[in-house]
Amino acid sequence: MNDVPDPRANGSTEILAAEDLRKTYGDRTALKGLTFSLNAGRVLGFLGPNGAGKTTSIRILTTILRPTSGRFTVDGISSDHPEAIRRRIGVLPEGLGFPKQMTAFGYLTYFTQLYGRPVGEARRVATVLLEDVGLQNRAHSSIGSFSHGMRQRLGIARALVNDPAVVFLDEPTLGLDPRGQRELLRLVQRIAKERNKGVVLCSHLLSEIEGVCDDVVIMNAGSVVARGSVAEVVGATRPELDHVVRIRVPVASIARTQELLEVFPGVEGDVRSEDSTGWLDVKLHAANGSGPDESRVRNDLLESLIRADVPVLGFDVGGGRLEDVFLRLTAEAIR
Amino acid sequence: MSQGLALAGRSEGATGRTIPAWWLIFKQEAVEMWAGGRVLRFLALYAVLMSVTAYLLATNNDLKLVTMKASVVVAVTSTITFGLFIGLVIGAESISGERERATLEPLLLTPSGHGQIVLGKFLAALSPWPAAFLLSVPYVVTLSHRDPVMWLALFWGAVLGSLLAIAFVGFGLLVSIWSDSSKISLFVCLLVYAGLLIPAQLPTEFLNSPGGVAVSAVDPLESASRLLTMVVDEGRPLSQAWVYIVAPTVMTAVIIGTLFFYSARRVRLTAE
Repeated sequence: MNDVPDPRANGSTEILAAEDLRKTYGDRTALKGLTFSLNAGRVLGFLGPNGAGKTTSIRILTTILRPTSGRFTVDGISSDHPEAIRRRIGVLPEGLGFPKQMTAFGYLTYFTQLYGRPVGEARRVATVLLEDVGLQNRAHSSIGSFSHGMRQRLGIARALVNDPAVVFLDEPTLGLDPRGQRELLRLVQRIAKERNKGVVLCSHLLSEIEGVCDDVVIMNAGSVVARGSVAEVVGATRPELDHVVRIRVPVASIARTQELLEVFPGVEGDVRSEDSTGWLDVKLHAANGSGPDESRVRNDLLESLIRADVPVLGFDVGGGRLEDVFLRLTAEAIR
Repeated sequence: MSQGLALAGRSEGATGRTIPAWWLIFKQEAVEMWAGGRVLRFLALYAVLMSVTAYLLATNNDLKLVTMKASVVVAVTSTITFGLFIGLVIGAESISGERERATLEPLLLTPSGHGQIVLGKFLAALSPWPAAFLLSVPYVVTLSHRDPVMWLALFWGAVLGSLLAIAFVGFGLLVSIWSDSSKISLFVCLLVYAGLLIPAQLPTEFLNSPGGVAVSAVDPLESASRLLTMVVDEGRPLSQAWVYIVAPTVMTAVIIGTLFFYSARRVRLTAE
C-alpha cells in the first residue's frame, strides 16, 4: 500500500481516490472494480438503480466494509488505516436512526466528544452546526419531536462534527417534501463550496443531482458504466441519444400538435405522446445528422409550433439530461 | 451562514480534557436507560417480586416451616436470580437493538475502537445490578431479624451476585453482537437463563446425589445457591464450599474474555 501516492504531496486537491475496488460475497460479486477520484470543493453524484452496488461502495469507502481487493485513500490516508480514515470522513447513512429522547444539542455534543474533542469545544461546535443547518431554535428539543426533514438536517450536522475532508450522504433527500429537498441540496452545495469539502451524494433524484453535482459516477450491476463531470458524461452519451426532441403542450393540444409535427420535414415516423402529462416524443431523421443541421431542424420545428399558436410548455433536447443518460446506461438492469 | 460554516471547522488549538469514548458511551447509555424509565420499570417489578418472596418467607418463618437462616439464603438467592435477569435483558438488547433502530452505524463510524463501544454498553447494562442489590438489603435485614448472619449473607450475595451479573450482562452482549434482531437475542438469553434455573427445580434427593452435586457445581446459579446455603445457613467454612465458586468464576472469565478479546472487535453493522 505504500506505493499509493499521497495526492496532497504534489499539490493536488484530490481528497478521495478509489482504485479497482471489488467486493464479493461468496459467489456473488457486488462490486466489480470501482475506480474514481474526487477533488476538494466538488460534489460527486453516485447513481445507479437498486442493487447497482452504491451502498456497498459507500460502506467500503466509509470503512464499514472491507473490500475483497483494491484500495482507496481519503485525504491522503490509505485504506490500511480505517480508524484514521474515520477521523477524516463524515457520513449520513441511509435511514439513519436517532435516539428520540436526546436533544439535538446533546446529540451533536455527544458525537463531537466521541471524536476526541473536549466538552467545551464540543458544545461550541454543536451550537455552530445547529445554526448552519437551521436548527438553532430547536437545539434543546428532543429529537423525537423532529420532522423527517429536521432529522436529516441534524444527521448532516452530525456528519460534520469532526470537520471531515469528505462527506458521504446516502439518499439524504429521501422522504422529504420538495421544499425540504431543495433546502437540503442547497446545504450540500454550501458544504462543498464554503467548507471546501468533497461530497459524495447518493440519490435517485436525478434532476436534482444534475443541479447540485459537479461530477458523477453511474453504476450498474456492480460496475461503473460512466464517470466524469456531469457535462462530460452527458456529452459522451449524447450522440447516441440525439435525434430526439421532447415537447410539452397542454393535454388539449396534443392531437393538433401531433398532426402538425407528423407532416413537418425532418420528423421521422409517428409522434408518441404521454396523454397525462402532455409530453410528446419527436424523433428527427438521422439523415439530418448531428451538429448545426439538426439544431436548425429543432429551431424550425419550435418556430413552426409557435407560429401555429401551439402553447409550448416545455422543450427538451433528447440526451441533454442526466436522466436520459442514466436511463440508457442502466437500461439493461431495469429490463 | 458562511461564517458559521467556517467556525464549525477544526480548531487546532483546542484545549481541555478529552473524555474516553467508553465513558461517554456508558454515560449516554446509562442516562437513556435510567432517565428513560426502562431500568426503573425493571426495578419496580423486581421490588414487587422481592416483596412477595419476603412476605412468603416471613410467613413460613413465623409458622416455623423454614428457619431464619434458610429464609435469608432464599432472599439473597432471589436477589441474585431476579437481579441478573435485568442485566441479561438489557445486555441482550444493547447491540441488536441499536441495529434495529439504525443507530449503530454512526457509532461504528466514529474513531472509537469497537472495544470501547462494547465496554461502555457493558458498564451501562451492569449499572442496574448495584441498585437491585441495594433494594434487597431491607428485605434481608428484616428476614434476619438483625442477626449477625445478615452481614455474611449480604457479603456473599454481593460477591456472587456481582460475579454473576458481570457474566450475565456479558453473555447478553455476546448474543446481541451476533444477532440482528433483539427478539432473537432475547429469546436465546431467556432460554439459557431458564435452562440454568432448571437444577433448582430438581428433587432434593437428586441434588444430594453425586450427579446432583456435579450438576450444581457446573450450573453457576445453582452453585451460588449451594454456596450460600453451606456458608450462611449451615455455617460451614469456605474451605468446604469453595468448589461452588468455581463455576461462577470460570463462567465469568470465559464470557468476559470472549466478549472483549474476540467478539468486541467483530462488532459489525450486521451480525455475521
